[in-house]
Amino acid sequence: MDRANYGNSISGAGLVWKWQRLLWWIFALNLVFAFFATQGMVDRLGPALDHSKASQYFVHGFDVSQMAALASQPDSPLEFQGPTVIHFSIVFMILMLFFTGGILATYVRDERPAAGIFFESCGYYFWRFVRLLIYMLIVFLPIGGLVALASMMYSRIDDRSISPYSAVHFFLAAAVVILFLLIVIRIWFDMAQVIAVAEDEKRMHKALRLAFSLFFRNFFSLLWIYLRAAVVACLIVGLCLYFWMKKLPPEATLVAFLLSQFMLVVWIAARLWQRASESAWYRRHAPVVAQEPAWTPPPVIAPIAMPDPEPYTPPTT
Amino acid sequence: MRLAGLSCVILGCAIFSGMSSAPLFAQAAAGPLLSHPAPVAPSDEKTLSVRIVAYTIDAKLDPTKHVIDATETLTYRNLTGKPQQTFPFHMYLNAFQPQSTFMTEVRRAGTRGSGPDTAWDPKHFGAITMEKLEAEGSGDLTSKMAFIHPDDNNTEDRTVFQVTLDKPVAPGSSVTFHMTFRDQLPEVVERTGYKHDFDMVGQWFPKVGVWWKDAWNCHQFHANSEFFADFGTFDVKITVPQNEIVGAGGDLVSSHPNSDGTKTLAYHSEDVHDFSWAASPSFTEKNDSWDGPNGPVAIHILMSPGHMATYPRYLSNLKGTLQLFNDWYGPYAYDRITLIDPPHGGLDAGGMEYPTLITAGTAWDMPKGLLAPEGVTEHEFGHQYWYGMVATNEFEEAWLDEGINSYTEVKVMDALYGKNTSTMAWSFAQMGEHGQQRAGYLGSDDSDAIAQFAWKYRNSNSYGAITYGKTATMLATLEQVIGEDTLRQAIHTYFMRYRFTHPTGTDFLKTIEEVSGKDLKWYFDQAVYGTNVFDYEIDDAHSDPLKWWDTSMAHPKPADGIYRTYVTVRRKGDFIFPVDLEVKFDDGTTATEHWDGRDRWFRYQYDRKAQIVSAEIDPQTQLYLDRNFFNNSYVEQGDARATHKFRNLWVFVSEWLSQLLAWLT
Repeated sequence: MDRANYGNSISGAGLVWKWQRLLWWIFALNLVFAFFATQGMVDRLGPALDHSKASQYFVHGFDVSQMAALASQPDSPLEFQGPTVIHFSIVFMILMLFFTGGILATYVRDERPAAGIFFESCGYYFWRFVRLLIYMLIVFLPIGGLVALASMMYSRIDDRSISPYSAVHFFLAAAVVILFLLIVIRIWFDMAQVIAVAEDEKRMHKALRLAFSLFFRNFFSLLWIYLRAAVVACLIVGLCLYFWMKKLPPEATLVAFLLSQFMLVVWIAARLWQRASESAWYRRHAPVVAQEPAWTPPPVIAPIAMPDPEPYTPPTT
Repeated sequence: MRLAGLSCVILGCAIFSGMSSAPLFAQAAAGPLLSHPAPVAPSDEKTLSVRIVAYTIDAKLDPTKHVIDATETLTYRNLTGKPQQTFPFHMYLNAFQPQSTFMTEVRRAGTRGSGPDTAWDPKHFGAITMEKLEAEGSGDLTSKMAFIHPDDNNTEDRTVFQVTLDKPVAPGSSVTFHMTFRDQLPEVVERTGYKHDFDMVGQWFPKVGVWWKDAWNCHQFHANSEFFADFGTFDVKITVPQNEIVGAGGDLVSSHPNSDGTKTLAYHSEDVHDFSWAASPSFTEKNDSWDGPNGPVAIHILMSPGHMATYPRYLSNLKGTLQLFNDWYGPYAYDRITLIDPPHGGLDAGGMEYPTLITAGTAWDMPKGLLAPEGVTEHEFGHQYWYGMVATNEFEEAWLDEGINSYTEVKVMDALYGKNTSTMAWSFAQMGEHGQQRAGYLGSDDSDAIAQFAWKYRNSNSYGAITYGKTATMLATLEQVIGEDTLRQAIHTYFMRYRFTHPTGTDFLKTIEEVSGKDLKWYFDQAVYGTNVFDYEIDDAHSDPLKWWDTSMAHPKPADGIYRTYVTVRRKGDFIFPVDLEVKFDDGTTATEHWDGRDRWFRYQYDRKAQIVSAEIDPQTQLYLDRNFFNNSYVEQGDARATHKFRNLWVFVSEWLSQLLAWLT
């Protein structure tokens, strides 16, 4: 293992641990949004289930046919509010785009800012990250074309082969390639974000060029930083899922909830670990010394000089 | 048709003594009490069925073009009691053309696997072309064939033709038809067709209609209808390339290679009403047997590539089903059963029944906890009894086959794999056949009755939900009225009495009344012939201090400790059924009531030194027809764990969706 990489990962993990407040805020926001998104369903489900013996179909085990029966009731107590969930998810995504500036600034500076400074950083970098998001969506277009092509080829192979394995093997190979390309793009744009913060670079096309050059020259070390965190997260989440599905008693609702939230925490922590490791890596490997990010103090607003009020003159009768 | 099933083999079969197993020929000779006139064979004939038809078919398959060239000789015995001069024939393969009634109905309202958005693909074209039709005594009748449309006046539909002979066939006499025809198999859309190098050949030859209820019964092929034909014998020769492996619904009499690289297989089958077969060079053949009361039954299973892991599941279920059907309903009349496993991409040919041949279905990654292969195997084998031997009219009374079969599927699968795990048996999710059938019924509204012509349902969802799910659920609820053992005895009696005779729904229902000794018209009128909605609920249940005026917020408990408890039960639907009510109190006592369910609501009142703990309609949960189990009970002390569990799931999904989108940032 590359010592420098090991150092980056450790220092990245250390940054996440040190500034774990960021992790918990993101987790809390995610959880609150999810509660709001699903509250409507819960409000309808409670009256149907809470005082009914039939709710035991879901407590001692989980009877799928009873779930289907519940879903088929005319008042739709089990309606999963898809649009609401999607809307909240989009809002969460926008908020994360907003907070990324402050998060990266914290990791790059390795300093704890005051709340006002943190949010000011978020706003300071927000439009740069919006532009980067637009660039990324453009870069995704050929990936989308590749997915469509792979899908077409999969259908053709599946249709022409009497054995199911031909299409399955193709699917696995295509999935690996596409996933790899997505990860590469993600690392590239993450690096561009770090440059935007560390160098206070306002031109996103320049940040992308620099990021691409850095990434290309240090491809495997940066890739390994990302894959390591992802693999650890997938292993832990996989184990938790296995335990939840196979070992946990069906009545253990609270434990199941805690386990599900633990998986989220692990996932978010892994993502922050990637961001922090990359920030630490950049500080060690940047071609120029990273300039202090522009943590601009709030402007001093001179008080407006108010004219002296005129003396009161009572009205004459 | 196929249904999903589930696995954990527990062979808990109950052997009922006293099951009648009289020789089958004696049963046929005795004559059942049919609701309609039936053909009568000469008294010296000792066969399982009254054999009206004798088919001799010589067919050659071209597997590259999926074309079958064949000759057919049909000898029809006129046992109708009347002279017959006009004969209708089914030409089912012509349904796979865009202008046919079948495809028109698929486009309008869907059917298995296909729906209103079904695009026409030329490779789905199928056809049966009569090249020559002759009848002894009438000569060449090819030009006298006329397509008819008894059901919908669709002049473009070519699935039924009729031909008139020069002279009528006298009662008791026979007429022999000689036909030359060609089949173009479609790429499989439904039941028949090809996929890759697999050819499923069903409903492939001109088949004469049935003289039934004093008229010819020969319906067009519809999206939601199946088949109806007379019993007889089949002698079929099939010529295929030598590398093809064939599975057929008949005894293999001979197999010999030809000099042109083909081979000819000869099959014989008797006391059946159809003949089907499948061929593929990619099959893996497996043979086994089951020892039945009438001797060994040869089991011939043809597995497709990638599916061998399912073979033991098919075999185990087939043997278990054979055993239970023999124990509960009657002996299996044949000495063989063939199971065809359709290949990957050919599942539209799966889940189908033909006499002594069934098609199942699986996937390369079929999990052990999902008993779909077992369910479809059991279901299709069950058809050997209701479709194969009892042979009701699937056009006009589909429920007698699909519905009774779905009910017996519930009983058999529950016995083999456990009541709550006979469809799905995972540690985190379970489903039993009872629940599955009921959920299927609840998934559609009550716009159609059970007793209805198959093509007259509102759409395919309604057809499936009512003929399968509602009939099974209706019979399961009937157990509450007459008892499970009595119903089983009734079905056994129905099978033994009416096999090989084309009975009707009236025959079935009357048999149940006869065996149970009860007048069940009130139930059948609502459940079978009506669309009444069954829904009872606990409208209100609470306890109040009897001298409520002596209590206050500070002293809520009554001085004398007496509470008045009210329980109001309500009939929300229009199905009237007597229900049991169980009310539990916090002093451990229970009150049990029996309500006739006729009024819209009824209030029970109890004055006790106890408060209500719970009130429940149908405490044994046996009224499966009730649309909503969740309003059948009220528990004073609520339990929100189920709600929390759903919330946890939805919150989890919502959070991960957010994380997925946040990855873009």
